[in-house]
Amino acid sequence: MPRWGMVIDVKRCIACWGCAIACKEEHFLPPGVFFNRVLIGETGKFPTSSKIIYPILCNHCSDAACVEACPTGATYVREDGIVAVDDEKCVGCRACLVSCPYQQRTYYDQKVKDREYFPGQGKTEMELIGEKLYPFKVGTVIKCNFCSERLEDGMKKGLTPGKDEDASPACVNICPVNARIFGDLDDPDSEINRLIMEKKGKQLRKEFGTEPAVYYID
Amino acid sequence: MSNKIHELEQIMFPPDGSGLKPYEWMVNPTRQRQWIDDKGLFLWLAFFFSEIGAGLYFVSLFYAYKLGLILGWLITLVLGGVIHVLYLGNPLRAWRMIMKPNTSELSRGIWIIGVFAALGLLQIVTSGGFNMVFSTIMGILCLLIISHGFATMNVIRALPAWSSTMVLPLSLISGVWIGHQILQFMVSVSGSAALASGMEVWAEVFFFAYFLCIVLYVWGTWHSNEIGKESIKMQLRGDLLKISFIGIGLLAITVPLILALIMWGGDTNSFLIFLRLACVIAGDLALRYVIMKSAVYKPLI
Repeated sequence: MPRWGMVIDVKRCIACWGCAIACKEEHFLPPGVFFNRVLIGETGKFPTSSKIIYPILCNHCSDAACVEACPTGATYVREDGIVAVDDEKCVGCRACLVSCPYQQRTYYDQKVKDREYFPGQGKTEMELIGEKLYPFKVGTVIKCNFCSERLEDGMKKGLTPGKDEDASPACVNICPVNARIFGDLDDPDSEINRLIMEKKGKQLRKEFGTEPAVYYID
Repeated sequence: MSNKIHELEQIMFPPDGSGLKPYEWMVNPTRQRQWIDDKGLFLWLAFFFSEIGAGLYFVSLFYAYKLGLILGWLITLVLGGVIHVLYLGNPLRAWRMIMKPNTSELSRGIWIIGVFAALGLLQIVTSGGFNMVFSTIMGILCLLIISHGFATMNVIRALPAWSSTMVLPLSLISGVWIGHQILQFMVSVSGSAALASGMEVWAEVFFFAYFLCIVLYVWGTWHSNEIGKESIKMQLRGDLLKISFIGIGLLAITVPLILALIMWGGDTNSFLIFLRLACVIAGDLALRYVIMKSAVYKPLI
């Protein structure tokens, strides 16, 4: 069984927000909800300051704080390393949301569901179709799932996640500069393992001991 | 046109902060909102009522005061329990929270409250309920319930203001202190003036312990790290400044201190005890609100 992970090359990222938009489109996310974000900050002081860009998403930690905090077992780590939420079990206590040091989860309540992309003009056809195709349950927590539906469908067709578009996460496919590399962390010959080793991949906020599956290289 | 833009802004960037603010979200210290804003207020109240109910039950054990046990049991379960459930996104699935006591502090809390409910009822309805073994077990359960709310917050390593060492002692002392105040008031209005006067010594001890815990919490969080310091700064600016000064400084500390000095040596009366009780309840609510509201996450970059 593979253990999916991602490498993000922050030197390549141009902060185009393509990943965030592709993700919204893939999962039909309502206004204000993002599974992918691009953080832009500064380091140093003028005149030697420089801009830092970090695309972030759920880190699919193997020792996830959200999984520990969940009182019902709704949040769990799948065999393939993806941290998933079973919306049938989620009680909406938001313990996972509060305990995530990366703040990568969203509570989906009626207020979020009712948001419209064109306020006051009703939901568009696209939004209505999205609610049918990708229904979220009100009162539960939602998050990035590494596009597990795409991965599973693609693998059924004999495709390889990370190599074939139809079996890879939407954020990986859309990236115009190939800053995102997806693959199997348990495969010593995979490209992401090579990059992590060669370029000394770093995990975000390693001090929390959550063992993220998303690595950053520069 | 400007109204439309304002409306759009309200939707994209709601005042509750749930909207996207790419220029500051997790780039600067970002405040936790889920457990205090909007419906999160339920959790603030639920933790408070569970704490004071269990505190009242705990203190009543020492005085073998059955009315205190009943009221403490009811506050913990009816107010604390019901408000807890109301907070949930799917209250009908609340039973599922018993599933993960091995890792989840919330789940452990549900188990403890369940055992407390069953044994507490047994203690209340049986005539020999105050025997030493039973009371010791119930005392331990009460202490666990008192600290449950802050323990749930304390295990969240991402929020230094909550994972501070002094959070649990502060929670324990505040539960016992307020429970003691409720019992002292109940005793004083039920005509047992001598007992109420005798309880004043413990009131003074608990008050000073509570004050010391607040000071140590602020000192410890300030010196824990930069993010802890940011939380304390947040408590002392904006809307929280008023709550910190009036709620904690005045109601939780200054007025009870003055009243404790007035009643020093056991010279108590019901009105002053009631006044102090009202102040410490408002003060503790303010303290919890400020601690929950000012917890911030470390920036990611």
